[in-house]
Amino acid sequence: MTWFLVHFAEIVFYSLAAVALAGAVGVIAFRSPVHAALSLLGTFLAVAGVFVLMQAEFLAAVQVLVYAGGVMVLFLFVIMLVKARDIPDEPQYVRRLVPAAVGLGALLAALVGVGIWAASGGLPADGAALRMVAGAPLGNTEAVGWSLYRDYLLPFEVVSIVLLVAMIGAIVMGRKESGRGGAA
Amino acid sequence: MLDLLWLVPALPLAGALALLAGALRFGKRTTTAIGVGSAGLTLAAVAAILVQYAGMHGETVARHVFNWISAGDVTVDFALRLDPLSAVMLSFVTLVGFVIHVYSIGYMHTEGDRAYARFFAYLNLFMFAMLTLVLGANLVVMFIGWEGVGLCSYLLIGFYFDKEYCAAAGIKAFVVNRIGDFGFLLAIFWAFKVFGTVDFAGMATALAADPGRYAAAVTPIALLLFVGAIGKSAQLPLYVWLPDAMAGPTPVSALIHAATMVTAGVYMVVRCNFIYRLSPTAMLVVAAVGGVTAIFAATIGLAQNDIKKVLAYSTVSQLGYMFLAAGAGAFAGGIFHVFTHAFFKACLFLGAGSVIHACSGEQDMRRMGGLAKKIPVTYWTFMVATLALCGIPPFAGFFSKDEILGRVFAAGAGNLNGFGASYLVLWALGLAAAFLTAFYMFRAVYMTFHGEFRGTPEQWHHVHESPGTMTWPLKILAAGSALVGLLGVGTAITFGTDLNWFESFLHRVAPTVEVEHAPALATEWVLILLSVAVALAGILLARRFYSGAEAFAAPQRMAERAPAVYAAVANKYYVDEAYDRAVVRPLGKLARFSWKGIDTIAIDGTLNASAFFTEIAGDLLRFLQTGNVRNYALFVLCGALAAAAWLLL
Amino acid sequence: MRADLIALLPELMLATLAMAVLLAGLASGKARHGLLGAGAVLALAATGVTLWLAAGATDPGAHFFSGMFVLDHFAIFFKALFLLTAALVVLLSHDYLKRNDYRPGEYLALVMFATVGMMTMASGVNLAVIYVGLELMALSTYILAGYFRREVKSHEAAAKYFVLGAMSSGILLYGLSLIYGATGTLDLATLARVLASAKPGPSALVGVALLACGFLFKVAAVPFHVWTPDVYEGAPTPITAFMSVGPKAAAFAMFLRVFIGGLAPLAASWIWLVGVAAALTMIWGNVAALTQDNVKRMLAYSSIAHAGYALVGLVAGGPAGVNSVLFYMLVYTVTNIGAFGFVILLESRGYAGETVADYAGLARRHPAAAFGMLLFMLSLGGIPPTAGFMGKLYLFAAAVNAGYVWLVVVAVLMSAVSLYYYLRIVLQMYLREGDGAEPATLVAAPWTERVIWACGVAVLVIGLLPAPFLAAARAMAGAVGLL
Repeated sequence: MTWFLVHFAEIVFYSLAAVALAGAVGVIAFRSPVHAALSLLGTFLAVAGVFVLMQAEFLAAVQVLVYAGGVMVLFLFVIMLVKARDIPDEPQYVRRLVPAAVGLGALLAALVGVGIWAASGGLPADGAALRMVAGAPLGNTEAVGWSLYRDYLLPFEVVSIVLLVAMIGAIVMGRKESGRGGAA
Repeated sequence: MLDLLWLVPALPLAGALALLAGALRFGKRTTTAIGVGSAGLTLAAVAAILVQYAGMHGETVARHVFNWISAGDVTVDFALRLDPLSAVMLSFVTLVGFVIHVYSIGYMHTEGDRAYARFFAYLNLFMFAMLTLVLGANLVVMFIGWEGVGLCSYLLIGFYFDKEYCAAAGIKAFVVNRIGDFGFLLAIFWAFKVFGTVDFAGMATALAADPGRYAAAVTPIALLLFVGAIGKSAQLPLYVWLPDAMAGPTPVSALIHAATMVTAGVYMVVRCNFIYRLSPTAMLVVAAVGGVTAIFAATIGLAQNDIKKVLAYSTVSQLGYMFLAAGAGAFAGGIFHVFTHAFFKACLFLGAGSVIHACSGEQDMRRMGGLAKKIPVTYWTFMVATLALCGIPPFAGFFSKDEILGRVFAAGAGNLNGFGASYLVLWALGLAAAFLTAFYMFRAVYMTFHGEFRGTPEQWHHVHESPGTMTWPLKILAAGSALVGLLGVGTAITFGTDLNWFESFLHRVAPTVEVEHAPALATEWVLILLSVAVALAGILLARRFYSGAEAFAAPQRMAERAPAVYAAVANKYYVDEAYDRAVVRPLGKLARFSWKGIDTIAIDGTLNASAFFTEIAGDLLRFLQTGNVRNYALFVLCGALAAAAWLLL
Repeated sequence: MRADLIALLPELMLATLAMAVLLAGLASGKARHGLLGAGAVLALAATGVTLWLAAGATDPGAHFFSGMFVLDHFAIFFKALFLLTAALVVLLSHDYLKRNDYRPGEYLALVMFATVGMMTMASGVNLAVIYVGLELMALSTYILAGYFRREVKSHEAAAKYFVLGAMSSGILLYGLSLIYGATGTLDLATLARVLASAKPGPSALVGVALLACGFLFKVAAVPFHVWTPDVYEGAPTPITAFMSVGPKAAAFAMFLRVFIGGLAPLAASWIWLVGVAAALTMIWGNVAALTQDNVKRMLAYSSIAHAGYALVGLVAGGPAGVNSVLFYMLVYTVTNIGAFGFVILLESRGYAGETVADYAGLARRHPAAAFGMLLFMLSLGGIPPTAGFMGKLYLFAAAVNAGYVWLVVVAVLMSAVSLYYYLRIVLQMYLREGDGAEPATLVAAPWTERVIWACGVAVLVIGLLPAPFLAAARAMAGAVGLL
């Protein structure tokens, strides 16, 4: 029982991690697009849980609102709209790749895992250090704000152009025949 | 005038650029004016420069044209260097080059305007590259010229690109040369790493100051440089491109593949003699490759029926002599042979071109004969050049070849670098090659110019002497073949009086490696008489086989009319095959091997092998490059795994 | 803040002008190719001027935006190169877009946005900045690769590029997060300090390995090159030209900055990884190019091989190595854009591009253009007196001096191999007659021709007078703190 209490955080973390991984596997394993999307939802929620565990409540909330709420709903809309059917079975030669892919992926995961395991002693214990600005503790939201709009201002602004480009891309790719003669 | 040294390569470059720029519009007259004019101006400039240089007692003149690469510790100037060695090269490259430009006016006149302009543009470009090679003051500038002449050679060999074998020959030349260039390039890098400079003067100074410090690097650098020389100068085992290169127009064969470009390897070795003389191993390798190539190519020359192929193998063989000389420490002697060879071999090629021109494009000597009467100028000039090549006094080749054989014998007798026995063997090979040279050259003379004509009557009817633009170059070169030898009369010939102007001129930049115990005067005279006797024996043997009433009496026709007579003639005729069996096979099983073996197994084999590997690569590619994204992703995953494992484990 | 903005001014300017071009493209009802193209080129030129001004007003050693951004000589060199590349590509695209009838507005804006991304990558000294710059560049290129929507091959190229690019981004991000986890910083200078002070743990090493994988993917090095041939073949040819030089040079900029800079303390670990990748890339790229008949695909493999050569300079390291990579990128850019320009000129038979055999006899029919192609092929093959020779000479000299003789041997051997397929094109053009049935002809494309001329002149000028360019590259790399 004491063991349980002492290691409570770890137990929760590994459970959430397992859910996130299972969800990710589900995304590529389910044949039905709707199931795949819902499986992704599981991953999102589990990641939100990890944020909570790291005492980043604001991020957890954003994660739920934006991903689980906005993004996922859009996914489902699209799936409904295009009436996506179940993904057909892969051809034989692709299926032959599956064991190789799984094996290699597992190997890579093992390697990385060993690396992290061996180094885990040096990791910071919690996110408390991030929350100190000018010696004063900050609230969760404030910390994110400081980080985003001050330290990481430049990448944040560049990301806005990335989003613009993504929108242009969606329009360029999605627009009906751009039309000979230049009709929009 | 010396400040205008840059003009020497610049003039032909300007000519080439003008021709390329206007290649589409110029008529033959304009092309001739630009192409030959720029070569003439170059010759004039060189003459003026050399006249001034003659009074400078062999000083080295360096001229920085511009600072070329300068970044960090790498500094390479585009610098030109005039010293006795490059002066000698300049003199004959521009002279022979100009003469061949003139000759080409006549030889190429049947081509269309554009082909004509293209030809002269390439020829001028070649002159530029060759002069850059000769004048370059460091290895990189030399390499620029080196690659440039290779490129021009490739373009000119493939000049008649509508013929499949011409294009193939061009590619073969280029590919084989690249193998050599690979060595050259590595040598440049290595030299740069070791000496911190690639400037000839800088490297020589560094080596002279502290030879011990560079002892480990000298031999590999020298050998890598020699790999480059082997490719460019068509030595064993990379000689195979040169005979094929005869597919190009004959003036090209004369200029590039006999007189100038192919001797660039010898020039480079002599230019770097300050490196070679410190490495006995490299010296012996150079001598051995040269000596073996000399005899080897000579044996192949015995069996050729195409007049240009005979000359091509002869060139390979003579280049072997030059390396033999350099390897025996007779650097000046090697360059002297380069010098005389340029005259008589260019004359022979141009003569062959004149013969081919006269016979309406026929190159097979079995369908020639008796041409001496119809084309006397060609005949006499060809004869002079042949005598020079065979080493008959007092023609030029006698002095240079004798110098080489004498020096190699001296190296053997004086036990140079402790490799005395090897040098003696190489001397014997050289002497044997001299015999073979005399034999196959006179075989060619008899087959071409003597006896009865063996072609069709129409051909005979058309045989005519070439126009003046072609015969004057022949006369000039023949005069050169007869006379230039006097510039380097060996000391023994003058009974010890030093009249060898050539060697003393070069002494400052390429001193001969002297052995401790030079042979006695009497020994040297025995050697001289021996080499002349050997040459005469070769000539007499050829005369017995290929002249007189019984030679080549059209066996076919006679066999039909009189089978009895045919048997007798056939016996004479079989001499050719008999010596094929009796001489070529035993004497040169190696020759056979190369002729058929190396050519088919090694060269075709290499090509087949490369095709085979290309196919394998193609199959592998199809297997990996499936076009399927998931396959690609798997590939990337493999890479990531390997990388992670590498760093972690 | 003011100094921050001045340092960022070129990017700000270009991004703003890109949006202007985008809007102008939407506003002009008919596709105004000339107007928009001219606008884009002017915008790039104006950015160049801004870059010059900003560079003058900025201390090259200073850091901006909380130490995430610099405008040192290294960054200036690459930014100028990117602007040049983008301008050349815009000019190449002009005739091509018109001929194939696609709207220029979004296309040009995307090229400019990609350039903004590349410029950000060159200036970033924080892994987060470098990463978002990379994503901006990559996303723009994905879309550009698929811009020709009526072509199935273009679709396919975009889809493949996107999927594999996303995967490589994932690998790269994973590497970043591991490095962050191990060191607690994304700042390159801090990273170098932390890594130098303590023996790095295994998770940092794995992070470096994965980071290297992501970077190698971007420069298209073996074994992460698999996407290249399909994408290069399928993308619109000016975009192929763009991808083969711009993003590649940008990837090298970040590769140099991150590995020679921030990860220098771990050099002993990664240098062999990169060295072996360089050797494999040269071998695989050149050997595979031998088997190609489609010219575009052949050039794709050739560009893989050239990434291998440039990696040799990276392995050599030090000021000489960095300098040689910078110079090589310049050389390679003008050469490759010229070569692709020629391919564009020849695409008279539709989108598929021409095979090597279609080049037969071109020298006779189009001597000037063929001469340009001859120059580009010689330059790619590294034959004097072209720029390519100088580039290789300098790269290999740096590597030999750094003691990587084996790598140089591979490189020289492989460049000898490469001559075979470059000369195949020359051979076809100069030494063969067309079979006459349906000879490929050049399409009328004045701007493309001008680009080819400019590149041809550049190839010769750099080849004959490399000193000022090398001096420029050296001045740039001379200040390599890179951090």
